[in-house]
Amino acid sequence: MRCAECKGRGMCGLPRCPITSRFHAQLRAKPSDHYMGGAPAVFIGSYGYPKVSGGPLMTGDLNDPPAWVAQGMTIDDIVGLRARTIRGTSDTGRLTGSLQEIALSSSPLDVEVRFTKPVGFDLRFDGTVAPVGLSGAIRKMDVLDNARVDRAVDRITADSDLGAVEACTLLHDSAIDVYRISELLTTGLLGRKRHIVPTRWAITAVDDMVSTRLKKEIVRMPPLEEYRVFCAEIYGNRIVCILAPGDWRYEMIEIWGRQSLWGGETEAIVADGEGLKKRGYSPIAGAYYSARLAVAEYLESIRRSARVVLIRSVSSDYWAPLGTWVIREATRNAMKNSPVVCATLDEAIAAASRLAGFSHWLGHSRLIPQMKTQKTLFDFSG
Amino acid sequence: MLKATIDAEIFRESIDAIAALVTECRLHTEEDMLVTRAVDTANVAMVSLELKSTAFDAYSATAGELGLDIAKMKNILGMMGRGDALTLNLLDEERKLELAFKGYKYSITLLDASTIRKDPSPPTIELPGKAVISGSALNNAIKAAAVISDKIALGIDPDAMTFYMEAEGDTDHIKLALGEDELVALNPVGARSLFSLDYLKDMGKVMAKADEVEVNLGVDHPVKFAFDIADGNGRVEYLLAPRIEAD
Repeated sequence: MRCAECKGRGMCGLPRCPITSRFHAQLRAKPSDHYMGGAPAVFIGSYGYPKVSGGPLMTGDLNDPPAWVAQGMTIDDIVGLRARTIRGTSDTGRLTGSLQEIALSSSPLDVEVRFTKPVGFDLRFDGTVAPVGLSGAIRKMDVLDNARVDRAVDRITADSDLGAVEACTLLHDSAIDVYRISELLTTGLLGRKRHIVPTRWAITAVDDMVSTRLKKEIVRMPPLEEYRVFCAEIYGNRIVCILAPGDWRYEMIEIWGRQSLWGGETEAIVADGEGLKKRGYSPIAGAYYSARLAVAEYLESIRRSARVVLIRSVSSDYWAPLGTWVIREATRNAMKNSPVVCATLDEAIAAASRLAGFSHWLGHSRLIPQMKTQKTLFDFSG
Repeated sequence: MLKATIDAEIFRESIDAIAALVTECRLHTEEDMLVTRAVDTANVAMVSLELKSTAFDAYSATAGELGLDIAKMKNILGMMGRGDALTLNLLDEERKLELAFKGYKYSITLLDASTIRKDPSPPTIELPGKAVISGSALNNAIKAAAVISDKIALGIDPDAMTFYMEAEGDTDHIKLALGEDELVALNPVGARSLFSLDYLKDMGKVMAKADEVEVNLGVDHPVKFAFDIADGNGRVEYLLAPRIEAD
């Protein structure tokens, strides 16, 4: 398996991922054994599942990726911000109640935490979750505020006869963003049989559940009339998206350029796609589902079905893996920009190559040749 | 108006044949049969189905049209077993279809037929080549090709007197040629067209249950598969547009 497919999940068998451990930057943090302040989110690790450990993320700043992008923070700003964040760890049973309260609240709660020893610097990156710099084992934790809970969140989390899939789609329908929904899922507040879920799994699970449902609605909508090509770039991640008239098909081609994070000496290209049903987990991992969510949200908003070819090209500017939210926000930004409208597939391909800056992605697409060669029954009824 | 009783297995067979291509359709009730014709969203494949009144244990209907959520029907029919008698009762005013079997009574809200795509008119095409083959052999060939490729060529070689299927993967190649002995019938006119396995796989699962499938082929033309359901009291036709290889 190539680095571009594993993305730090440790499939190579080395004790630490040689790529993520490059970022053991130094940080001068005053070693302190207590913390009092905001806890905007919860983090549950996946190590040792089902006996996982986790706790609150403690920082005075917001844990709100769309806001980071909107404020124009650079990749260095974000890594710096996250390096100051403390990840509390504890076995989850003891803290579940407090963690659920943090997850339920629509605004960050203040907590008071005592650690077993002063917090240590331990900057960890993984492909799915935003990085966190400090960690400390929790001895005692108190939540100081009362949670402010949205009405929809309150209603849905209180219903223990509602399956997790329906719960996620209902929350999304109530204009609760996937960032909040994954918080609820990770702390075990959704579904019939509730469990603490590792955060990186919860993020992708929510992307998948919400977009699979959107997909089922999109399939019933009339097809798009023309070809549209969208483009946007954040943190060295350029997203180029072709929408073509037709039934729902989705294909993503991910290109890690030379000297980019998971690319190494040569370029690494991973492609994956789906029709109505998706079999198995995508080799592109969480990014596949995050991008699919953003495209599905757009198609649902314009009430059209389409075939989607999405190219993500990553340059060396993306020097630290920030999490799949980068792809989600980059794709959402792309879909907000006004598209290049084309009359034919060939024009759309040319426009996409121009926007992406190269054209060899085409050789990795299975959907494009299919669209080019597949005739319709109308072609024969003349 | 529709009031009919049918073996659940036969009805399920009919719904499965439609479900291979579309998730909803307009079902027409006529005095002596049920008929439907639908194309998929991309206009690549078409299904036509007729189920004669003789397939039913009891049947009375007047001409009408109802919008059927095929995906939902498929889930409901999954509960029924072979030999269960299923009673269909259309409640016109309420736009509901009542399905009764073994004491269960489902009442399904119908879709507004005007929101479903109009019935397509079938293209008028000449497909001179013809082979008749068992459904399971056809399905097996489709499954074998799907392992290595996403497209398959179907053709007839008039010199060798064979019906053949051929698939080309990135690195692999598979060919199956069936002579007259292995076919039920063959009309040896040269034909060859390329098809997407995405569609064929779903059709193949349905055709696997048919004893005989009539395959009509041309050169770079659509393929037509026709086969009986409900012990000859119904017939299904699939039409699939080809892929034309880029040069």
